Amino acid sequence: MTALPAQLAADRLVEVAFRRAMDEAARALGALSGEIVTITEPEIRRGSAADILALAGGPEQVVLAVYAGIAGALDGHALLILPPDDAHRLAAILLLGLLGPGELPIVRGGPFEFDELETSALQEAGNVTISAFLNELGRGLAAPVQPTVPQVVVEMAGAVLDAVLSDLLADRDDLLASRTTFVAGARRVEGTLLVLPRAGSLDVLLASISGA
Amino acid sequence: MTLATAPGILAAGIGELVVSGRPDEVLAAYGLGSCVALVAWDATARVGALAHFMLPAPPPGTSPAAATPAKFVESGIEPLLAAFRSAGGDPGRATFRAAGGAAMLALSSGDLAIGRRNAEALSAGLAARGLRLAASDLGGSQGRTVQLEVGSGRLLVRSLTTTREL
Repeated sequence: MTALPAQLAADRLVEVAFRRAMDEAARALGALSGEIVTITEPEIRRGSAADILALAGGPEQVVLAVYAGIAGALDGHALLILPPDDAHRLAAILLLGLLGPGELPIVRGGPFEFDELETSALQEAGNVTISAFLNELGRGLAAPVQPTVPQVVVEMAGAVLDAVLSDLLADRDDLLASRTTFVAGARRVEGTLLVLPRAGSLDVLLASISGA
Repeated sequence: MTLATAPGILAAGIGELVVSGRPDEVLAAYGLGSCVALVAWDATARVGALAHFMLPAPPPGTSPAAATPAKFVESGIEPLLAAFRSAGGDPGRATFRAAGGAAMLALSSGDLAIGRRNAEALSAGLAARGLRLAASDLGGSQGRTVQLEVGSGRLLVRSLTTTREL
């Protein structure tokens, strides 16, 4: 899809704000996990539903997703997406400090099964990461931006994302998405933060960035 | 757009439709959540078609892009039937099956029952044309992948935990 020059310029402005917010999200995840979290260069892309699904690894890729809606001054959806094995590793890192002497380690079934503790830890990881992103993104806006209560789901990426895409693409055929991959610590946990703002929210953000 | 998959597999992305009269081909839609896949198969002509619908109906004043004729159920059934006919299929003797329409997430905005509404729009759209579903796997809260073997008409519906024939 060919974007208009004005739209490209606007997307670049948003990109700068998103990059800053992604840095904050990485710092927050690092603080929570006690690991050094590095991020790949954030990818900001305007694309179709198929393009967005590709950012999440493809429609049939099984993922653990922490979903939160974006509420307040901005509107949209955000997801922290992890391959199941990486999600188990991140949960283990997060829960390590909570296990007392003699407490049993996590016992799990299949790779797609997450117990209550793991789910809770990963929900918090998503909450902290998405909140940090939105706090930074919302600086300068008239009202705060916050996530809704996060939900954890283990499913095919297409199944997780199609309701979100349905909500954002009803009256258009492309949207702006931002993706960054996190790598946490020596145990190498890779995850993707996917942020999908509603088109009208981009206008609000642009007005804030340009001081209007 | 057709998703890149294994040779012989024609995959419909969101809003797309695929059709085939080749018995060695497979039509597929991957990772359906609230989306609904409608499959038509003509046992006599050995022709199959599959549409990957995203929403029940277009918002007022909008229409789907040429690349995504099956974005909306309401406006997408006719293009599916037209493609099916063009490949030699006869909707009058075809069987129609559908899968998807799940509720995966409680979204913070938008239509919370989009999967159910997609399924309802599909049944209504078929009924308006004198057609009906012979079998379906709709609703629930699990993702689904569907695959139609064009030669045999076998339709497999796969979730994370099960694979069943529809």
